[in-house]
Amino acid sequence: MQEFFDIAITDFTDTFEGAFLFPVLLTAALFILWQEKDLTRKLLLGALPLVFLLLYWCPLTGILFMKILGENVYWRILWLLLLAVTIPYGGCLLLKKFTGIRRQGMFLLCMAGLIVCGKELLSQEWFEPSTNVYKLPQYVIEVGELLPDHVHGIVSNRLLPYIRMYNPTITLEYGRNALAYNGIEETDSHEQMLYLEAQKKEMDLGVLIPLAEEVQVDFFVFSNNRTYIGEWEDYGYEHYGSTDEFDIFFRKGYEAAEEGAE
Amino acid sequence: MRLEILMSAAFFFGGSCLTGYALRRFLKLKQEGFLFSIVTGAMFWWALMEVILVPMTMALASFTGFTVLYTALLLVCMAAGCFCRKEILEDIRQAAASVRAYMTLGHLMALALIFWQLYFIHHHMYLEWDDTYYVNLANEAVQSDRIYWIYPETGSIVDFDKRYVLSLWPIFYAWMSKLTGVLPTVMAHTIFPWLIIPLAGMVYELIGRRLFPGDRQLQGMFLAMAALLHLFMSGEHTAGITFLSLTPWVGKGVLAGVLIPVLFYWILCTAEKEQRGLWVMLGITCLGGCLLSSMGIMLIPLFVGTAVCLVSIHKRSPGYLLRGAAACLPCVLLGIYYIYLSH
Repeated sequence: MQEFFDIAITDFTDTFEGAFLFPVLLTAALFILWQEKDLTRKLLLGALPLVFLLLYWCPLTGILFMKILGENVYWRILWLLLLAVTIPYGGCLLLKKFTGIRRQGMFLLCMAGLIVCGKELLSQEWFEPSTNVYKLPQYVIEVGELLPDHVHGIVSNRLLPYIRMYNPTITLEYGRNALAYNGIEETDSHEQMLYLEAQKKEMDLGVLIPLAEEVQVDFFVFSNNRTYIGEWEDYGYEHYGSTDEFDIFFRKGYEAAEEGAE
Repeated sequence: MRLEILMSAAFFFGGSCLTGYALRRFLKLKQEGFLFSIVTGAMFWWALMEVILVPMTMALASFTGFTVLYTALLLVCMAAGCFCRKEILEDIRQAAASVRAYMTLGHLMALALIFWQLYFIHHHMYLEWDDTYYVNLANEAVQSDRIYWIYPETGSIVDFDKRYVLSLWPIFYAWMSKLTGVLPTVMAHTIFPWLIIPLAGMVYELIGRRLFPGDRQLQGMFLAMAALLHLFMSGEHTAGITFLSLTPWVGKGVLAGVLIPVLFYWILCTAEKEQRGLWVMLGITCLGGCLLSSMGIMLIPLFVGTAVCLVSIHKRSPGYLLRGAAACLPCVLLGIYYIYLSH
């Protein structure tokens, strides 16, 4: 029971923190219940959000939904609250009481109230100016433009989520799930050993490249602040290109193999 | 990119509008205007896609095969819509006659807010961590011609992830990409906001019309407040309808920002006037919601069930409850199939 309330409180706070929209929602729902004369609308616009809140907070239904939906996504029941229907309807019920210029004035006041009670969404806090039509970080585009199609490789963690969105013909030895390997100190898993070696500030090519060759890795893209124990050329690789932030290394003869295949 | 955005919007809204007219005639739904047809058509597009996509995914069909079949069926629906000239002309006449009536303070503010939202999103980017899965799922479909055989994050061939196999929304924008020749990443991030955000606006306009019939001023004010709430929200960045401004291409965002309000609209309609066509539309929308997110398979019956339960108690009508339950049937069946797949 305590665990249920801990999850419910945390998720609820995460959903409504930083603004006063929840009190506005409650006020709107109660105002609808008080002022609306049509019982169907009273139920659908006033009572329904309160029922969903009850279902969310009631331990009986809450624990049941946690089992069905999963603890991590239980908070998504709060999507059913329809803030953008209940609050405007409550506001419009209030505006109905006025006519002419007074209604317009009250409407502007309501809009101002919503701005004050809400938190600006379209802000630099979450968005950054886009520099390309893919809406990906520019450093991804710069690396993507250098890499040829149909290659298999290992990339820096900063590129991991994005590089295949620029060029889906590129395949990766590991994806973002590998980030979970951070912190592992000893392992027998080939993928984990490869990932952990590739995270080191100073990578030992004598360890990295034999592991990579077992899975036919053609290229590596690492931040240019990394250093290496050994020379790439000694292991059959060469520097392929660089951007402002990344260095690219390729297996020698890769292009020849591709041409041969063609 | 402007041309691609315009072409995609014309195809999506024009196509769904024609489909909506055909559906309205078939379901005998009365004159409700263009917006009603667009929303009806869009819900049908998604429901039809779910009906085709799930078996084709299970049968390991090619993406090209899916594209050909789905496009052909939609073209038939659109062609059927072209035969509804009488209704379309009537709606054009009504729209032309009522343009001035819609020039209210609320409507103008709502339009300004929606354009600001689109302008801002068009010139900015929001880096969604989950895109590496969802957008790449679409990229892989177009690139490899396989539906969901390939793990999107790395490009390696794996078994299906059962959590998503029934809700492959990214295939919808992969399909749009295939038709327009634009990479799915660009389709999702740059073009889709121009489709989904106006669609959400249309849904709120329809709800406003239903709530305040005859009072255009209040309809506009309702719409303006709804649009504003999508720009000033609370909490964490992926809570509820914040999705619509941040990631309008993500299935969960479309579910929370568009589809659940559409369900609310149908329930409002059926509560006021029970009509077979409206119940069918509720069922179609429930099915369309299953395409958007696996969460939809579970949340939609909860939403519809609770709302219908409240109204049926008020109406003292078990029939209303039964019809509501029947509308949820697609979600229930897919839910059972999901349990079967995951055990």
